[in-house]
Amino acid sequence: MALHWITSRTLAAAKAGILALAWLPASASPDFATEVRPILQKCLPCHGPDGHSRMANLRLDSRPGATGADGGYAGLVPGDSKRSRVMVRVQADASPMPPAGERLSSREIETLGKWIDAGAAYERHWAFDPPVTPELPAVSDPDWVQNPVDRFVLARLDDAGLRPSREANRHTLIRRAALDLTGLPPSPADADAFAADKSPEAYSRVVDRLLASEAFGEHWARVWLDLARYADSMGYEKDTLRTIWPYRDWVVRALNDNMPFDRFTILQLAGDLLPDPSTDDLIATGFHRNTMTNTEGGTDDEEFRDAAVKDRVATTGQAWMGLTWGCAQCHSHKYDPLSHTEFYSLYAFFNQTADADRNDDSPTLEISEGLSSPVLSELAGDERRETFVHKSGNFMNRGEPVEPGVPAAFHPLPEGAPMNRLGLAQWLVSDQNPLTARVAVNRVWARLFGTGIVATEEDFGTQGTPPTHPGLLDWLATDFMATGWNLKAVIRNLVLSSTYRQSSDASAAALEADPENSLLARGARFRLAAEAVRDQALAASGLLSRKIGGPPVMPWQPPGIWQVVYSNRQWETSPGPERHRRALYTLWRRTSPYPSMTTFDAPSGETCTVRRIRTNTPLQALVTLNDPTLMEAAQRLAGRAIAEADPTDQAVLERMFRLVLTRPPSETERDRLIALHTDVSRDLEAHPENAAKLASYDQVLYTSSRRHALLADSRTEAPAWRYTTEASSEDWTLSEFDDSEWSLGRGAFGFSPATADSDAPYKESLATNWDTTDLWMRVQFDAHGPGLDGFRFEIRHSGGFEAFVNGIPAAMDLDGSGIHSPYQMSRAAVASLRPAGNTLAVRAIHTGLTGAARNIDIGITALRPPAFRFEGGQAVARAAWAVVANVILNLDEALTKS
Amino acid sequence: MHPAVGFAQLQTRRHFLDGCQLGLASMFLGSAGLMRASKTDPLAPKRPHHEPRAKSIIYLHMAGGPSQLELFDPKPELQRHSGADCPKHLLEGKRFAFIKGVPQLLGTPYKFERVGQSGTWVSELLPRFAKVADEAAIIRSMTTQEFNHAPAQLLLHTGNQRLGSASIGAWATYGLGTENQDLPGFVVLVSGNKTPSAGKSLWGSGFLPSVYQGVQCRTQGDPVLFLRNPEGMSRSMRRRTLDALEDLNRLEQGRSGAPDTLARIDQYELAYRMQVSVPEVMDISQEPDSTHSLYGTEPGKSSFANNCLLARRLVENGVRFVQLYDWGWDHHGTARRTDIRYDLPNRTRDIDRPIAALIADLKRRGLLDETLVVWGGEFGRTPMRENRQGDKTEYYGRDHHPFAFTMWMAGGGIKGGVNHGSTDDIGYYVASDPVTPRDLQATMLQLLGLDPYLFHYRHKGLRERLIGPTNEGRVIEELLA
Repeated sequence: MALHWITSRTLAAAKAGILALAWLPASASPDFATEVRPILQKCLPCHGPDGHSRMANLRLDSRPGATGADGGYAGLVPGDSKRSRVMVRVQADASPMPPAGERLSSREIETLGKWIDAGAAYERHWAFDPPVTPELPAVSDPDWVQNPVDRFVLARLDDAGLRPSREANRHTLIRRAALDLTGLPPSPADADAFAADKSPEAYSRVVDRLLASEAFGEHWARVWLDLARYADSMGYEKDTLRTIWPYRDWVVRALNDNMPFDRFTILQLAGDLLPDPSTDDLIATGFHRNTMTNTEGGTDDEEFRDAAVKDRVATTGQAWMGLTWGCAQCHSHKYDPLSHTEFYSLYAFFNQTADADRNDDSPTLEISEGLSSPVLSELAGDERRETFVHKSGNFMNRGEPVEPGVPAAFHPLPEGAPMNRLGLAQWLVSDQNPLTARVAVNRVWARLFGTGIVATEEDFGTQGTPPTHPGLLDWLATDFMATGWNLKAVIRNLVLSSTYRQSSDASAAALEADPENSLLARGARFRLAAEAVRDQALAASGLLSRKIGGPPVMPWQPPGIWQVVYSNRQWETSPGPERHRRALYTLWRRTSPYPSMTTFDAPSGETCTVRRIRTNTPLQALVTLNDPTLMEAAQRLAGRAIAEADPTDQAVLERMFRLVLTRPPSETERDRLIALHTDVSRDLEAHPENAAKLASYDQVLYTSSRRHALLADSRTEAPAWRYTTEASSEDWTLSEFDDSEWSLGRGAFGFSPATADSDAPYKESLATNWDTTDLWMRVQFDAHGPGLDGFRFEIRHSGGFEAFVNGIPAAMDLDGSGIHSPYQMSRAAVASLRPAGNTLAVRAIHTGLTGAARNIDIGITALRPPAFRFEGGQAVARAAWAVVANVILNLDEALTKS
Repeated sequence: MHPAVGFAQLQTRRHFLDGCQLGLASMFLGSAGLMRASKTDPLAPKRPHHEPRAKSIIYLHMAGGPSQLELFDPKPELQRHSGADCPKHLLEGKRFAFIKGVPQLLGTPYKFERVGQSGTWVSELLPRFAKVADEAAIIRSMTTQEFNHAPAQLLLHTGNQRLGSASIGAWATYGLGTENQDLPGFVVLVSGNKTPSAGKSLWGSGFLPSVYQGVQCRTQGDPVLFLRNPEGMSRSMRRRTLDALEDLNRLEQGRSGAPDTLARIDQYELAYRMQVSVPEVMDISQEPDSTHSLYGTEPGKSSFANNCLLARRLVENGVRFVQLYDWGWDHHGTARRTDIRYDLPNRTRDIDRPIAALIADLKRRGLLDETLVVWGGEFGRTPMRENRQGDKTEYYGRDHHPFAFTMWMAGGGIKGGVNHGSTDDIGYYVASDPVTPRDLQATMLQLLGLDPYLFHYRHKGLRERLIGPTNEGRVIEELLA
């Protein structure tokens, strides 16, 4: 490679002498990687490595191809742009190249010409050769250097004539480190201890404590789970829930134990293929069981098994090598060295697992009684599948058979490696692999600094952006491998660097010099991830449950989000502290993910997400201002500050402020917020009902303890109803209708044929037989009690129903519901309620076959008014602080790592 | 293939695409540069590739697959052979969602009439649509590859039968931004008590930034999630908190110099305005009685009719893309509520009046010319009776049918009264002018002023396009005015 480079430069110099370009230094070829390759890329869709779609037998991705040395059309004449056909075509007036859309600019044409004149030297893409430990560059200020990271950064700043920023103050620094390492803010006490600790080890002690905390694994697991497309449901139409959280917990443990990344890799891709795998080794293979399963009727299991296998190939390429292998499933990669056939050689590694898009997600591993989680399992010898190339990516359109193998452009499988997933995993973590270590350290860098050294974390191929600090990337990658793939060590190195510790404040001049901070003359500053927005608020308020692991939970979400076809599973807010678990533990359903987190760019888990694109929208402001969970946190934050601080406005305010932002407020900030407090207090004194609600907001929000039955259903003590199966006069819904001729019976009503066991769970509760199409029922109920609210029916029914209260339409459904489901009572019906003697009239409809099972069971509930804990002046004071806390939690600084 | 494009257009397009890139790059790299949010707002209106025929789209999706044989595509031959075994050659190598063995052909119980000046065939189930049918171009030759709800819906909405791609509404707002910053640019309204099978992915942004995902506006509870202030927080108090928030954020911005902070200050003001503008536009109670009787709307109710009226109000207020979903069109005939005789008339009664009203209302307001209205399901229904329950069933229904179904488009650049394509004698296959989801998508983009072939987003090394990687998608010129 190097030799080629010298030759072409020499050649270029000779040519330049002959051509005597007036102002150009003889040897100056435009830089291939940064200037020329981006231009050539535009030609590659039709003139690239994909032979199938190559036009005019011209190939421009390699020198032998472009010059015709490989037998193709000679598009380039090195050293002579005028005789190069490519130059003619890009400048042509009639049908210029490229043919559609992206015409080359005159500057690009000039660059191309200079490069050809200088000898048309190609360079192999940097990322396809293994990293070599670079020499540490000399720098202007060795005292600034904490570790080698700083040398690379400072050397570039020196080149650009920029100076690094001062170190961030102690409060900023500890908040930054705590959010980056654990996703949670530091306690004010920890921050003060750090600020007071003058020893040179003060900071590294803080960092080591954070790295050792269990919250570290929870925070960094989320990064990996994005790649693993982790979710608690199977995806597709039915999107049934699945139990794969043991895998999530495995990731948390592995990160907390600082499992070497090579082992972390091998266990996830091939834990089942190790000799005597432990339960944990098998759970780790859940990584590739996070693919979606289609349980819809009539689907071809093979179609969706194939989709899962392709996803595994693509995800492996993305997560470990930062390559877009998925591109090659339909055709050879247009830009990178991965042919269509090679994609299916990779596919062959993954094509021998026993899972096959089954409804029960088998094979699964029984972890404890009643708890099984999907795992990978290799088929036995005689069950193994043949692998073929899929023409155009269609699994039904078989091409040539292929064997497992790795792409030819890369290193071979390690000696003695088996030709299965285990061998592939060993290949990925071989020290010959040019990408795995680079991609891993770049990912860590990006999470800490906001943007990767290679900004396109998902694409290290020729289409990706070049690294801003190539030497630094390679130093980090080689050091990572040399220290035994020690992830915590990489993170520790970065966090301890002077580069990381810089203040993120930027002068106008600094912003102009480097608006995107790609040279790192200041600290990183970017919005918190979705999870941290929630976790920080809960932690600051003292609400956060610190329980680690276990089944996913359902924190509060607005009603009506889960309206999922074919499922009566309801979102029911988890009890007690379970609703205040870290965001990581929120039940994640792919087709209906938790809304306030998706608003902050959390991915749905449908496919591998390498980096989240941070957006900034008004809907996010609505979440942090109004999401009841965040308002509850504000109320609790106020309550906590009142309990913990001296009883002065200044002290309460400072406590709240510091619990969120770590630092104390400035005088101006304090005065402004106290002015708000005064202002709000005055407003609330005039509106005590508002004060009562805000001061006890949790009681407004969580209603389960306030709900009580006005009409019991069969789950408790059902009353006797009047009923008939004969259609009667139109006025049957009215209070005054005489139903004394009707029969008497208790709920639940229904019928369950002995042969049909589908409704078996409900059989015991069927107190009264109903086996006709329609059933008319009437009952009286009372609705007395002050301030009753939230009237709703709780109805389980196999077909449709319509309900009337005092003759007024109150609720209906055309569809069955297998469990008791809430139906709001209509406003008009609520308005008709009197304290005693209301008439509920219901018509149940059986819509299925004549002999099929049916049932209906009806109750009515209402909410008692909340018993507010605080009244009068106490309520006003607490409510006003809750409002101020709501503002503090919305400060830009609170939502930002700075 | 590509429409011929001149150099001037290319220049415009490059300018446009560069603009897009810049906006996005600065957004996700967290550097709004030194510009204010308004200049880098990803939803600010953007210049299209060419002169648009439609400024906005109202897409009425009937989730489940409405029966073309009951609504738009009369087949006397099918009627004649109703009850006969389906010819074997039509079944060979075919898979259906539920039909097994040899099913029987099933004629429709409904009458059809030729309506309007165009004399197009419309079923008696759609008497009011019949009166505005001349505004619509009816495509009887839709065909798709997917016979299950979720993948078929995804293919139609995102161009990909699998999850993870961007929906057409997200593409439209990515490409064009939106006219009214106080409202979301892409609004979703759902009726029928259920989200469609493929769930929220149908209005997801896929690989596009999440700012382009559809915002579901609900007719009960908060119209937009978290729009309402917490209980006990009055609007005047909210104003005071936002004033304090802005003061503190400006102090912080002065210290840090961070341009993102300025952008966030603007987002809070926008959110505050949305708290008024969204409920305002969602409140149909101020509409005159004449409008309510036209649409059949009842304020406070959750219905398809209300959603149609809301759709008009939204596009009138500058929303780029309004997507309606109505659930309950999956008439298998396994129960009374999926029977084409008992339930289908309920469904058509719920949509017929509001759809006719929507078209008439848009027209009288001069909005129909710039608003494209699209109607259809994810596939059609079989000319055969579904036989899932053998002879036991007393109900009539049809299975999913991907090979032929009907959709229509009206307004924004569409030639009214066009009858496009046809099916064979029994409506099994398309007989002429097949139209695929890709063709439909290409046509919709074209009408919005976006070149379907050039309009793309770079993601994981691919030039992602709504119409997919190949150029087989075709703008259906025959439909264009």
